Amino acid sequence: MAGKWQLKDHEAERALFSHRLAVAGVFVLLLFAALIIKLINLQVSQYEYFSARSDGNRLHSQYVPPARGLIYDNRGQLLADNQPIFNLTIVQEQVADLEETLDYLDSLIDLSDDEREQFTNRLRRNRVPFTSVPLRYVLSEVDKSKIAVNNFKLPGIAIEPQFVRQYPFADLTAHSVGYVSEINRAELESFDEEERENYGGTNHIGKTGIERTYEDLLHGRVGYEIVEKNNRGQVMRRLDRTDPIAGKNISLYLDSQLQIVAEEALGGFRGAVVAIDPNTGGILAMVSKPGFDPNLFVTGISTKNYSVLVTDEINTPLFDRSTNPYPPGSTVKPFLGLGGLQHGLVDYEFTIEDPGYFRLPGVSYRWGDYTLRTAIGGGHGHTNLQKAIYQSCDTFFYDLGNRMGIDTMHSFMSQFGFGENFAVDINYARTGVLPSRDWKRETRGEPWYPGDTINSSIGQGYMWATPLQLATAASIIANKGKVVQPRMLKAIDGEPYLPDIRDPVSDVLVNDPDYWRYIEESMTMVVHRAYNDVFREYGTAYEAIAMEDREMPYRMAGKSGSAQVVGISQEILQSEDIQVSDPNKDHALFISYAPAESPNIKPQIAIAVFVENGEHGSSVAGPIAKSITDAYLLDILQIDFAALDSAGDELIALVDE
Amino acid sequence: MNNQDFIRQSDGLDSQSRYTQSIWRTLHTDPPLLVGISVLCGFGLFVLFSASGGDVSVVRRQGLTMVVGFVVMIIVAQFNVHFFRQWAPTLYAAGVGLLGLVLVIGVEANGAKSWLDLPGLPSFQPSELMKFVVPMLMAWYLASRPLPPRFKHLFWSAVLILVPAALIIIQNDTGTAIMVTMSGIFVVLLAGIRWRIVIAGFIALLLASPAWFIFLAQEHQKNRILTFFNPYRDPTGAGYNIIQSQIAIGSGGIYGKGWGEGAQSHLDFIPESNTDFILAVLAEEFGLLGVLFLISMYLFVLVRGCYIAYVANDMFSRLLAGSIILTFFFYVFVNMAMVSGLLPVIGLPLPLMSRGGTSVVTLFIGFGLLMSIQTHGYSR
Repeated sequence: MAGKWQLKDHEAERALFSHRLAVAGVFVLLLFAALIIKLINLQVSQYEYFSARSDGNRLHSQYVPPARGLIYDNRGQLLADNQPIFNLTIVQEQVADLEETLDYLDSLIDLSDDEREQFTNRLRRNRVPFTSVPLRYVLSEVDKSKIAVNNFKLPGIAIEPQFVRQYPFADLTAHSVGYVSEINRAELESFDEEERENYGGTNHIGKTGIERTYEDLLHGRVGYEIVEKNNRGQVMRRLDRTDPIAGKNISLYLDSQLQIVAEEALGGFRGAVVAIDPNTGGILAMVSKPGFDPNLFVTGISTKNYSVLVTDEINTPLFDRSTNPYPPGSTVKPFLGLGGLQHGLVDYEFTIEDPGYFRLPGVSYRWGDYTLRTAIGGGHGHTNLQKAIYQSCDTFFYDLGNRMGIDTMHSFMSQFGFGENFAVDINYARTGVLPSRDWKRETRGEPWYPGDTINSSIGQGYMWATPLQLATAASIIANKGKVVQPRMLKAIDGEPYLPDIRDPVSDVLVNDPDYWRYIEESMTMVVHRAYNDVFREYGTAYEAIAMEDREMPYRMAGKSGSAQVVGISQEILQSEDIQVSDPNKDHALFISYAPAESPNIKPQIAIAVFVENGEHGSSVAGPIAKSITDAYLLDILQIDFAALDSAGDELIALVDE
Repeated sequence: MNNQDFIRQSDGLDSQSRYTQSIWRTLHTDPPLLVGISVLCGFGLFVLFSASGGDVSVVRRQGLTMVVGFVVMIIVAQFNVHFFRQWAPTLYAAGVGLLGLVLVIGVEANGAKSWLDLPGLPSFQPSELMKFVVPMLMAWYLASRPLPPRFKHLFWSAVLILVPAALIIIQNDTGTAIMVTMSGIFVVLLAGIRWRIVIAGFIALLLASPAWFIFLAQEHQKNRILTFFNPYRDPTGAGYNIIQSQIAIGSGGIYGKGWGEGAQSHLDFIPESNTDFILAVLAEEFGLLGVLFLISMYLFVLVRGCYIAYVANDMFSRLLAGSIILTFFFYVFVNMAMVSGLLPVIGLPLPLMSRGGTSVVTLFIGFGLLMSIQTHGYSR
């Protein structure tokens, strides 16, 4: 090793090192040069491209949903409100593994299988990429904080505030006001280009009732904003904004107080009430009982809750009884009677001798008098039209109907809205059936038989009408033939709304206006004609209405009806031993309007009451109509009938002078 | 700037200059290097403030680390470089021993089991020490042998380099292993290894790389290589970093978006924006001009370092200084090239800019050694 040092040439080694250092320096410069060329390429040559990419990264155009218009009742009470909630939403495109994320969320806030399923359904709908899809509506404060704390582990998950519908009266307005719910695929597909755009930021759409009818008014116009988002999809800044145009606030004729009264008056019964102001056509109350809580539908009803609603075959809470048809029974008699007068088939003096049944010439079958079937036998005896109405004599109307014929009956009755939908803005209401020869041939493929006419003349057989139609018909009698079509919408943003009715219904004209007075008198007798010495000369509803309230300050015109659900023989019905099961009992109906026969004030309210399996029109449905009328005339309108009468007397005295 | 010449020419002429000269001498500090490093540190903190989203605590901690680094640098500079020469084999043996110890009782952090938590000492990474211990040993080994090195010496050099490198690779810290190996290789290159051997080695490496890729490379390493050739094969996964960082750099343009205005970095599109990818933040906010300023500052430090190596008195100092400064360059270039898409992604920080602890101190130890070489050479 001694030679090692001798071999070292320090100068040569130094030169070698310097040379190597110089080579390294050249490499350093070359590599830096390459780097700078790369940077110039990125920052100068491709600047425009990367600049656009950078903006595309962070700038997102998004929809701003408009606030849905509020719905008020007649007295300014909110029927449909908007309430802020917080939703848990997911942008699918920003989630690496959806299942994993959902599992993790499950460990945080307990997702039910139901929620998962609904979320998957929402995802499957045609959605614009990179839009957030709600996983859970109405996030609790606790869940909100759990999500917020773990936010960094949850890319693509956000808590978004949203306004959703809230129905303060819940069950009470479930059918009339209806509800909104999530837009489904069919609705989305039915949208045209413009609607698709307008609903870009909207999750909900009106499904039933007013919410659906006035969807266009209530929804408003979508807005837009350009926002800056970070890489987790959180909005950091708003850069540009086109404000949405909020939906219109609308007011209905509906009176929440009367609606409550009507609902309570139905008590434990299933049924419907429709009350109309004959002067305006405004629907004051429209109840279908039992209802359901429409709020459940707004944020996505769970399968469990939904199955409870649909499997209840007796109560069928989702079924709107107010706009679906039933046999109207004897409530059609005043209209038929008026038709008889108009067509000269009867007059004030015309009478029949009622044996308690009717027989077509040459036919052995007897049409019995339903009104008598549970009472003592025999007929009504000497009976004119008036008595036939207040005693609800079937035999009289069998005969009248038979002589009138189905064609005349059809054309006359249709003027009152039977078989048609007169409502301006309840287009979902059913039209029922006002049978005719054509109708039977088309739907049944059979000719019209004379017996069909007999059944129709007491509102049975093929004749079907909705409570809404019955209330409408009652209001036409109250108006003495003037047709004011029923309607819900009273005002838009406080401005009175006058609907543009394209095909207005013409008024009912009769040869002698006294016919109206005569029918009104007959219907008033239904309610007010008291018991007297003569056999069967009281009004059918006297006992349940006028006798119950002898202080009744106004007079009420009405007509009861019972509609057969199934054919039950007289023997069974009269037997004490056999109980007719509830769903087989007759439906009870009552139509009315008030005040009647007042020289000072026009009728203010027309009502149709339908009580499913209520059995007795006069004693079950009648008092319901009475209490609603009371509430409207005395509590809501606060009409002082005593003062009116004395004012009227003074007027008469003045005229006499 | 040219201290050496200045001193020779001004000998006895200007007592004031001599006085100032001697102050730096006494402090064993090299003013140009100090200025270059300080400017880089200041600029680094400035960028970090923006990259961290205005988080003062992050900047304060990094500033504190730098102060510690400066102190360590000054302390190291006080030792005569020959002290390190004498102790190099001992330091090396101790370092390898600690690496072995890490394998037994090491603590894992960020996927690498490289930390040692000895009682009475702050926890540290022995692999970091090897970044200057290995070139120190190589300089000691080759400087005492005739240059250019013989084949026998090269063989032992390779062994001395690869033993610690292998130990570090076992710790699963490939980045550090590459740096340690490179620092050793730079010594060998500067020592005058024959070009034909270099070229042969380079060709061998090229030929071996496909085999490495197929048989040895781990999945994430393969991914990084594939992503380098086409970032868009997995734009939201492996390619995300490089795509977003290129968008940041490109959208910065010539003049940049302004300090604190980088949308890419402030909206968290750039991952690791405080550490490995801080250049993307700088390039986005300060544009091409900012990057050129950074490169020129690095170049300034590099030139000064090369000068120190060039004028050093003995071969050990030359080789050590040369290796330190080239390793520094290697860091700078690899990071910048990777962030701008010129090289595959390798997890290396940008010296003096990236947020970090131990590696910053290691860097300053290197600068301390340079200053020691520069300031102790003439006192003898």
